[in-house]
Amino acid sequence: MTSEPYLSAHLHRAIAEDPRTAEAGVRATVRGDHVLLSGDVACEQRRADLEAVVHEVAPDLHVVDDVRVVSVAEPEGSEELR
Amino acid sequence: MIRIAAVGDVHLGADARGRMRPALENVGEHADVLLLAGDLTRHGTLDEAQVVAEEFADLPVPVVAVLGNHDHHDDKPVEVARLLSDSGLHVLEGDAVVFEVGGERIGVAGVKGFGGGFAGKCGSNFGEREMKAFVGHTIEIAETLRAVLASIEADVRVALTHYSPVPDTLRGEPPEIYPFLGSYLLGEAIDATGTDLAIHGHAHFGTEQGMTPGGVRVRNVAQPIIRSAYTVYHVEPMVRAAVAG
Ligand SMILES: [Fe+2]
Ligand SMILES: [Fe+2]
Repeated sequence: MTSEPYLSAHLHRAIAEDPRTAEAGVRATVRGDHVLLSGDVACEQRRADLEAVVHEVAPDLHVVDDVRVVSVAEPEGSEELR
Repeated sequence: MIRIAAVGDVHLGADARGRMRPALENVGEHADVLLLAGDLTRHGTLDEAQVVAEEFADLPVPVVAVLGNHDHHDDKPVEVARLLSDSGLHVLEGDAVVFEVGGERIGVAGVKGFGGGFAGKCGSNFGEREMKAFVGHTIEIAETLRAVLASIEADVRVALTHYSPVPDTLRGEPPEIYPFLGSYLLGEAIDATGTDLAIHGHAHFGTEQGMTPGGVRVRNVAQPIIRSAYTVYHVEPMVRAAVAG
């Protein structure tokens, strides 16, 4: 089995470089048998794509998915710069 | 007072088509101009750029954009910029636009920017060709930004980049990767030119607020940070005059 630091590095690169994900804003933290995904993506489909890519690179790890779909609501209020 | 809406890192593609549109159609109620701080697409393809064009075309306020590293991934930045320009966006790379809003002029200078790091912890223009190319790219962009900012005649001057001009707005990112997230050379250009506000993206895990060594407000508007379709800043034109006086 690949040791944890290398597996983390492989996951990090896969998430950033695989065309299905290309996510620079998602973290994969490996802890024992688990990999925690965190960060924000642009839509629901991308959460599923992420899990698929991670599962390919690390099929033995249990995925814990904390990734959120980013809000596209209108802003509440504004900041005054003076 | 000028109302500036801004967002970066929307990373659009066909799967996210139309998601932002409802909030964008109301942007005129919140702001006088909308700034896009790069990473508009995921891979920089023309198909994705078309999604971006449809999302941001025909809005009630002018839309000003710079490209990000993701928009360069397919090696077609010129074509992507042209497609967006053809849809009415102002895409900046080493140039500026000035708009008049209620008798006040806002000028926006835009460059993508690049990495290199921050004072005392940065790469040098030295050694291997690859290293010199990396740092040289940032030096060239920062010189361009400085010249364009200095050339703007407006009441409010804004620097729009993808990469960060300061480390402040990167807090939350691992310090080891700061050299890939921005460069102090951008901040130096901003400070040398009496700029009022610097807007950037790229650091998805960073924080919104920062300041250059010269006292210019910096805002990281990466969408995961602002958690909305865009965020809004109200800028008073006299800020710079008061500081300078
Ligand atoms: Fe991004
Ligand atoms: Fe980026």
